[in-house]
Amino acid sequence: MLLRRLFAAVLAPLALLAVGAPARAEVVKTGHIEVELVAQEAAAVPGSTVFVALRQKIQTHWHTYWRNPGDAGDATKIVWTLPPGWTAGDIVWPTPERVRVGPLQDYAYNGEVLLPVPITVPATARPGESVTLKAAAAFLVCEEICVPEDAVVTLTLPIVAGPAKPDPKWGETVATVLAKAPKPAGLKAVWTRDGQAVKLSVTGAALKGGDFAGAYFFPYSGQVIDHAAPQAIERGPDGLTLTLTSGFAFGPEATEPVKELVGVVATKGGDYEITAVEGAPLPGSVGLGSLPAAGAGSTGGASSSSGGAAASGLAGGLPVALLFAFLGGLILNLMPCVFPVLSMKAASLAAHAHDAGKTRVQGLAFLVGVVATFLALAGLLIAVRAGGAAVGWGFQLQSPAVVAVLSLLMLLVALNLSGVFEVGAAAQGAAGRVSGGSGLAGAFLTGALAVIVAAPCTAPFMAGALGFALTQPPVFALAVFLALALGFAAPFVILAFVPGLLRKLPRPGPWMDVLKHALAFPMYGAAAWLVWVFSQQAGGVALALLLAAAVLVAFAAWAYGLGETRRFAGKTPLVAFGFALAGLVSGVALTVGALKVPTPAASGSQTAEAGSGLASEPWSPERVAALQAEGKVVMVDFTADWCVTCKVNEKTALGGARLAEAFKAQNAVLLKADWTKRDAAIAAALAEHGRAGVPLYLVYPKGSSAPVILPQLLTEGLVIEAVEKAAKG
Amino acid sequence: MITRRLIVASAPLVVLAPSLALAGPAPAFTAKDIDGKTRSLAEFKGKTVVLEWVNEGCPYVKKHYSGNMQGLQQAATADGVVWLSVASSAPGKQGYFADGGQARTWINAKGAKPTTLLLDSEGVVATAYKAKTTPHMFVIDPAGQVVYQGAIDDRPSNKVEDIAGAKNYVAAALSDLKAGRKVAVPASQPYGCAVKYKDA
Repeated sequence: MLLRRLFAAVLAPLALLAVGAPARAEVVKTGHIEVELVAQEAAAVPGSTVFVALRQKIQTHWHTYWRNPGDAGDATKIVWTLPPGWTAGDIVWPTPERVRVGPLQDYAYNGEVLLPVPITVPATARPGESVTLKAAAAFLVCEEICVPEDAVVTLTLPIVAGPAKPDPKWGETVATVLAKAPKPAGLKAVWTRDGQAVKLSVTGAALKGGDFAGAYFFPYSGQVIDHAAPQAIERGPDGLTLTLTSGFAFGPEATEPVKELVGVVATKGGDYEITAVEGAPLPGSVGLGSLPAAGAGSTGGASSSSGGAAASGLAGGLPVALLFAFLGGLILNLMPCVFPVLSMKAASLAAHAHDAGKTRVQGLAFLVGVVATFLALAGLLIAVRAGGAAVGWGFQLQSPAVVAVLSLLMLLVALNLSGVFEVGAAAQGAAGRVSGGSGLAGAFLTGALAVIVAAPCTAPFMAGALGFALTQPPVFALAVFLALALGFAAPFVILAFVPGLLRKLPRPGPWMDVLKHALAFPMYGAAAWLVWVFSQQAGGVALALLLAAAVLVAFAAWAYGLGETRRFAGKTPLVAFGFALAGLVSGVALTVGALKVPTPAASGSQTAEAGSGLASEPWSPERVAALQAEGKVVMVDFTADWCVTCKVNEKTALGGARLAEAFKAQNAVLLKADWTKRDAAIAAALAEHGRAGVPLYLVYPKGSSAPVILPQLLTEGLVIEAVEKAAKG
Repeated sequence: MITRRLIVASAPLVVLAPSLALAGPAPAFTAKDIDGKTRSLAEFKGKTVVLEWVNEGCPYVKKHYSGNMQGLQQAATADGVVWLSVASSAPGKQGYFADGGQARTWINAKGAKPTTLLLDSEGVVATAYKAKTTPHMFVIDPAGQVVYQGAIDDRPSNKVEDIAGAKNYVAAALSDLKAGRKVAVPASQPYGCAVKYKDA
């Protein structure tokens, strides 16, 4: 027994010597940190490189620093003592966390960090022997206070001839750190100065279609940017643009001009080392709208991943977005935008109120119409944005052609309700076709039309959900739009499925015709509104042509109705149909002509009246900054002529004399961002506030660059209160 | 709630405050000194003023108070320069002086020779100058222009032995000023502990 112990004690180390001793290192405790050297491989191979990492296990809430520590702090330094022929390379720095200290921001590490260093093993190293690597590490470790600590750590590695095996304990960890560490990826990077701002645009295969929420640039130099300033993010199909705030290296104090910006662009998809030169912004680095800047760095121990959540602009992510979208859809039914279209639906419901089966089928057809149109519009929107165009929700009404066609369609619906002509209905009665057949198409179209015309306005809840959707991958975005469609269609579908609700209506009779004729007028109103929107987009000459087209289309509708009547009376309808066709063709021709009229120059540069009292100036981000610098309260009205909600707000809440007085008294200025026509700057500003559509009302308090967002439905009192509050700063 | 979230998320986006744009007029300030006297930058018009951010517990401050800082202070004040040490640590934080007496005790213990020390525990002066670290140095010329800002020297370390081989930017700026030259290095990256601002 004793003998066996003795043998074990003496022989075991000998046996180990024969095959080379295993890696040996010891942990040094320096006060706030445990330090040791760990290797990727269990042995060193002559003529190769072995990665040896300085591992720091940092006390909770304390941190050590990145190569550029940010506003304060100091990077970890390692001085190696190695046998002749062995050399150590530079530290491979993992991407740091952003740590906020009051108004300052540091780049630091929390918890456990491994700083790998490539160690070159000379070809002359002799297998069978072992090597001791010695590192004197000095690091500043800070929580509230900073403490410089040092440690001398050693690692003894066996030298082997063959391929070395990974270190059983640390091999995988070191490999992961190396794999995750920022590397060059052949990215193109340029910077350009714009006053205090430095725009850094980066593109390349690695960034194509990437998720840039929370993206951030960590510079290697501590002099080129203001570390604490947020970095605004703009997305593009091939990369991104970050707006940095210049550091003193760009200022008049600089001793030499900045040539390159070198550092790490950190994105969700990976972190990349870049070297940016001065030059024109890269195509493909903008165009898909902006994202909120990565959230301010964490304080103390938490990681910077909070930036990601903030970037989505909606707490709770997809489930909350879906819920909000559904609620938003419901509320959308109550927004002024939708009102005219609902009369269509009301008329159709009244007609079938006492035929439960038919009502249900119609309700479903309406639902399908709403859902299909929502998804089609959303799909188109996502596709167009992916193509690089800065468009937002409601984009369909930014095209004069779509507005012209819709206005004529509305006119036709109104004429139909007025009884000028019937589509299929007469046929249904006479030929006894399958009941409900044409009614289905009608319900489907009603749903489609309601979405196309009415949905561009955003409602409460919907605004946040849409803003979120457009920063997400297409599948998620479509899910949000689906929830929105379901919410929007829900009231009518429920109405159709709950018996008794509709039975309360009187029995069908002549009153229905009266109702139908009456409901034609909201539709005429909708047509008139769209024609006005068109005139704002395309000008007076085009308006005249469209109005002529409207008359011809109305004539065609009447002639068609006449033909149908003749057909059922057994007379030849050909002449009437001929007139109808001629009317329609010439109407379409005139519409095309209207669209070809050159658009008059934008009148946006002059001061516009927002109503009887308050004058507004055109919006631009520069104007906001300039007015703020003058100490003024700034309110921005993001609006569009096709957004009825916006117009109602402008009339009721922004047009009064009382408001004009309040603005004057508080030294406030109203800026108007008109999105009637497509505008990339406005789309970007909407995205900055997590929105994809109008209306959006911002009030910038005095001396604060963080605006207050007002609700989508305004009252004069609410605006006055907000402005008065803002004036107090 | 959602609206509030959105505001929070977008808040940092529109901050257009210039960074370190201090090449130019030195921001005015008033602060109480260790004798309870209210001092302002305006009273030193016509004189060269050095601002030195200090936190007696910070290792980087300790490094330079091994003699280097005191020497600079003595030489500068002998030359007619106004040297204001500024303590901006908030109450309860490292480097906070509850009153002038506490600060004086430290000054005497170190043999420091500033014109005076300003008690700035609210961080007002620090915010005006965007002071980042201790030490963080500013040199203001007699016309009230900031002519140097940044580190005390070119060796960002907390080791006393690094002082000997370092190029002292403040001494260089002061001698440039005295000789009527343009300050050769008007800015550098400050190094040290973060200024212990009060929690927001």
